[in-house]
Amino acid sequence: MRPSTRFALLLLFILTVDALLLQVWMAGSGERAEATKQQQATASTLGLTDLCVATEARYTRHPAASDPIAPFMDHPGAIEHFPSGSFWRPPASTISSGG
Amino acid sequence: MNIELENVCKIYNQGKANEVKALDAVSLSVEPQTMVCLRGASGSGKSTLLSIIGCVFPPTSGKASVAGKQISRLPARFLGLYRRQVIGFIFQKFNVLPELSVLDNITLPLLPLGISPAARRLRAEPLLDKLSISHRRNFPAGEISGGELQRVAIARALINDPPFLLADEPTAHLDSKLSLEFMEIVSDLKASGKTIVIASHDPLVTDHRNVDSVIDIHDGCIAH
Amino acid sequence: MQTSFIQKHLNILDYALSSLLRRKLKNGGIALIFSLVIFLLASFQFLTQSLETTAEKVLVFAPDITLQRLSAGRQVSLPDSSIGSLAGIFGIRQIIPRVWGYHFDEKNGANYTILGLPADSIQKAEVSLSHGRLPQKKKPGEVVISSSVRASLELGERKSFTLFRSDLSQASFTVVGIFTDNTDILTGDTILMNLQDARDLFRLGDGMVTDLAVSVTNPAETDTIAAKISGIMPDTRILTNSQIRKTYRTVFGWRSGFGSVCLLTALASFVILAWDKASGLSQEEKREIAILKFLGFQINDILALRFWESIAVACVSFLLGLTLAYIHVAFFEGSLFTPILLGWSVLRPSLNLDPAVTFADLLLVFSYSVLPYLAATIIPAWRSAVIRAETII
Repeated sequence: MRPSTRFALLLLFILTVDALLLQVWMAGSGERAEATKQQQATASTLGLTDLCVATEARYTRHPAASDPIAPFMDHPGAIEHFPSGSFWRPPASTISSGG
Repeated sequence: MNIELENVCKIYNQGKANEVKALDAVSLSVEPQTMVCLRGASGSGKSTLLSIIGCVFPPTSGKASVAGKQISRLPARFLGLYRRQVIGFIFQKFNVLPELSVLDNITLPLLPLGISPAARRLRAEPLLDKLSISHRRNFPAGEISGGELQRVAIARALINDPPFLLADEPTAHLDSKLSLEFMEIVSDLKASGKTIVIASHDPLVTDHRNVDSVIDIHDGCIAH
Repeated sequence: MQTSFIQKHLNILDYALSSLLRRKLKNGGIALIFSLVIFLLASFQFLTQSLETTAEKVLVFAPDITLQRLSAGRQVSLPDSSIGSLAGIFGIRQIIPRVWGYHFDEKNGANYTILGLPADSIQKAEVSLSHGRLPQKKKPGEVVISSSVRASLELGERKSFTLFRSDLSQASFTVVGIFTDNTDILTGDTILMNLQDARDLFRLGDGMVTDLAVSVTNPAETDTIAAKISGIMPDTRILTNSQIRKTYRTVFGWRSGFGSVCLLTALASFVILAWDKASGLSQEEKREIAILKFLGFQINDILALRFWESIAVACVSFLLGLTLAYIHVAFFEGSLFTPILLGWSVLRPSLNLDPAVTFADLLLVFSYSVLPYLAATIIPAWRSAVIRAETII
């Protein structure tokens, strides 16, 4: 087998894996559509304004509907640079003292 | 299918401080189906002369024609194309690629011609047989002996079936037995219609019975 | 002619591949780093894209208008009697008073969202529960929580728990239902209860709420109605549905922009590496090219050879990086990047991301990775292609 054939087979193999992944994704599409429907109904009937993706502070939990000014909401040592706060959790020693 | 050189000069690094005049007004002609030796010490200009005959680079001035084609004014690109049609070249250090197999080394010149692997193998088979290296075809070239390497180099030079076979100090890295063997092989090639030009100062080559003429080169000129 | 052209390039591709294999360590290293760069870029793109899509899909159903009272620039509670003053505005379908706030669990540092709604609204709500039922009217202390809240409260099989009020007295609650995990992206940290219980927990005065959710008959009229409301209640902040969605685009846009800038640095260093590897020809490589040129390879053949080498490395890396990125986002929730996109959280609901890979995403990743790589290798390739054949004589 010439190298270019082997190379084509390698690419084909990766694409097959991709196709399988796509298959898995398609298989879950009904479930996802159902989940989306449930999410939409929940958001609509409970009147939810925000996604629950970062729960630590009100301006991260409800970026759309909380205070425009929110100083020191991550923890007392955090510098306020944007309403989404710091990237990682502050070290335990800085919050254990009741901050 | 002959070679004609007329007043050929070659100057390296022309116009610079390290300018070297390698060939000075060389004229010669090589008849078809003969074996000609260019003899001279190293630095005499015989490699430069061989390169001009071999369409490696054009002369600085003078006329050179190979197989009826004027090559002295040919642009580098066309010179290269012409070279691969009419010239087979055997190098002093063989210049094979050690990681490639013997077969792949031999068929290397066929790659840019768009010849399929099967057709390449078909063309290499008779050469492998003729030069008795068939049993080595799948060996990496770096793992075979010097004599076999020489045969690989010859096979590669012949794969395009060129009318001219040029060799630059082909026996420099061979012992006397292998050198004589090389001369036998090229003698056969001459008999089969090739024109052969060898640059060498090895008496085993220059004094061989099948060499038709020896041209002595000294300081870029033909010595008479 | 056509077939021999294709055959020639197949031959050159063959040669390119075998020469890549001959320098396994160098080229394998490059392909690995390149895959990694593409993996990072694509993960980021897929993650941002799927978060934005989810936000867009779900938040269209957020209240058309959310009203909050501001005092000294801070949000304060407002009396639910102010609903009456909006009654005259034509086009308002419904106004629901709500209490929502946060309860910090000092034991494990988690932050719960308390959502209090009028009992009538809760009864009508179409909320999917994995088990149990919604809190009933006149049954104080009944709550619905998410499974992550249950885990965080360490409830186990127990149904009741207590939370501290602001005066440190304890309010007790009974879990009557659990939200399905499908809605985790909305309710992952939520404790849903009757309005009166929420008021009690937060010690809000009678009739006080934190905000009003307004729905309108015709969504196209939202802005007009919002303007009318602000005329009647000038001390309120009015958030419309489109503003909310715009905020989300901005938040994710800012975050992904930040991440992309970091990744661009990685990309730039990779391109420099690729350039360096491609231009630093060893003596061996120079000799090889000179031999090839002597044997009849033209400048464009050598360029094609180098080009195929780059294409081969780029193809494999691109496919590999994309596949890994997809697996990373679809099956591991893009866990490497969630800190950058979402910040940290003690309570992190499962995201159930749905990375719909679009052609635009692929094109973006392609033009940010493969194109710079090809550009970085083409000039060194030219330099190698002009090596003169006679150097081997």
